[in-house]
Amino acid sequence: MSLDFITYGKPPISPRERKLSRFMLFFEDAVKVPLFGCQHCGECILSSTAFICSQRCPKRIRNGPCGGTGEGGTCEVYPERKCVWYRIYNRSKLLNRISSLYQIKRIHNWNLEGTSAWLNVFKKRIEAPVWFVRNDKQKVKDIVSGDTQRKN
Amino acid sequence: MTLKEKIESNRFIVCGEIGPPKSCDGNVIREKSKYFKDVVDAVNITDNQTALVSLSSIASAKILLEEGIEPIMQMTCRDRNRIAIQSDLLGAAALGICNLLCLTGDHQKFGDQPEAKGVFDLDSIQLIATVAKMNSGYFLSGQEMKKAPDFLIGAAANPFAEPFEMRLIRLHKKVEAGARFIQTQPVFNMDIFTRWMERVVEMRLHEKCAIFVGVMPVKSEKVLLHMKKEVPGVNINDEYIDRMKVARDPKEEGIKIAVEMIHTLQKIKGVRGVHLMPVMWESITPVIVKEAGLDVLE
Repeated sequence: MSLDFITYGKPPISPRERKLSRFMLFFEDAVKVPLFGCQHCGECILSSTAFICSQRCPKRIRNGPCGGTGEGGTCEVYPERKCVWYRIYNRSKLLNRISSLYQIKRIHNWNLEGTSAWLNVFKKRIEAPVWFVRNDKQKVKDIVSGDTQRKN
Repeated sequence: MTLKEKIESNRFIVCGEIGPPKSCDGNVIREKSKYFKDVVDAVNITDNQTALVSLSSIASAKILLEEGIEPIMQMTCRDRNRIAIQSDLLGAAALGICNLLCLTGDHQKFGDQPEAKGVFDLDSIQLIATVAKMNSGYFLSGQEMKKAPDFLIGAAANPFAEPFEMRLIRLHKKVEAGARFIQTQPVFNMDIFTRWMERVVEMRLHEKCAIFVGVMPVKSEKVLLHMKKEVPGVNINDEYIDRMKVARDPKEEGIKIAVEMIHTLQKIKGVRGVHLMPVMWESITPVIVKEAGLDVLE
């Protein structure tokens, strides 16, 4: 299979790096917690979920809504909340980032829990965020028709 | 013929569903299996449905195999992490179970033990990818295994929950990850379902996977009202509630509705089969199969 579905813990996190990670988290939290409700998964996929943290889902699904979204997009577990994936879809549509929802998100590496995602991007443990999505509609068309061999 | 061969042979497929008992009495499954023998093509075995503890789906599937029925084992991510999932899959393959339905699973809040920790290490799409990887002979860790399992991978789809377009994206991902058949939630709103199916055909997903549509015969109006109120992600057309309300014999009417629905579904392009899921009313399956004329399709 060409797609690799898991983030491996390579390179491993050294004790020195953990200290650095804690230092960076101070700044990262200052931005991500108030703006996005960051849950510190350490494997940030905010850029492909239209900048809404998918980890606020009670099932922590990284690949789209479960089948229980109620009328008007309510969460099945906490009916007073909106399903995060409902919000992600609506904002993706608004920002023309639907094509990123077609990506299969990798299985979470729990070693990265509580570490700085910025540092992990820098160390190439996780993918770098995608800031601009161009030709979103064409990309979706290509994906649906299977024209492109996409890289995960 | 196994389910895999049946899917390839282009015939209309009927699946049933058994909920394992909430006790260690395996005879309950043997009793229920009598309704399905030589009636349906395969039978789903639920895995702790709605987070209520019940007999394990692997054991129940094995009992069905002994009774000569092909099981579709459901596997949820709520109760197992990736280690347990892979180990359970190996166990299931060793017992001869070869059909798998990959689900994320209901949240533990809906069960009798809401205090439990939900695992959700993987989600359904990642589970499908995991099984596909194991089918190709590798563990998630990348290690090779000596004998690879050969699962027919299935997944669920809910055409009735919002946001509708996102459901298709998710279906696309599931098929891309390796799902070969799809079972949908029970249909109680034909309009939404037809629209969804049109989009599926437009995206040509029906060519890559076989779609079995959920049909749920109900006993009374009360069941429908309960589902409308309590069960998340279900869309029930008021027409059916009214019909059940005025019917002289609600059970008879429930069967009639299910049969009508099957006949309508057979005409829709892309529908490859039905999945009958009478909850707590397994005995009705052979009646519906007969009334709908599905038993002469052999």
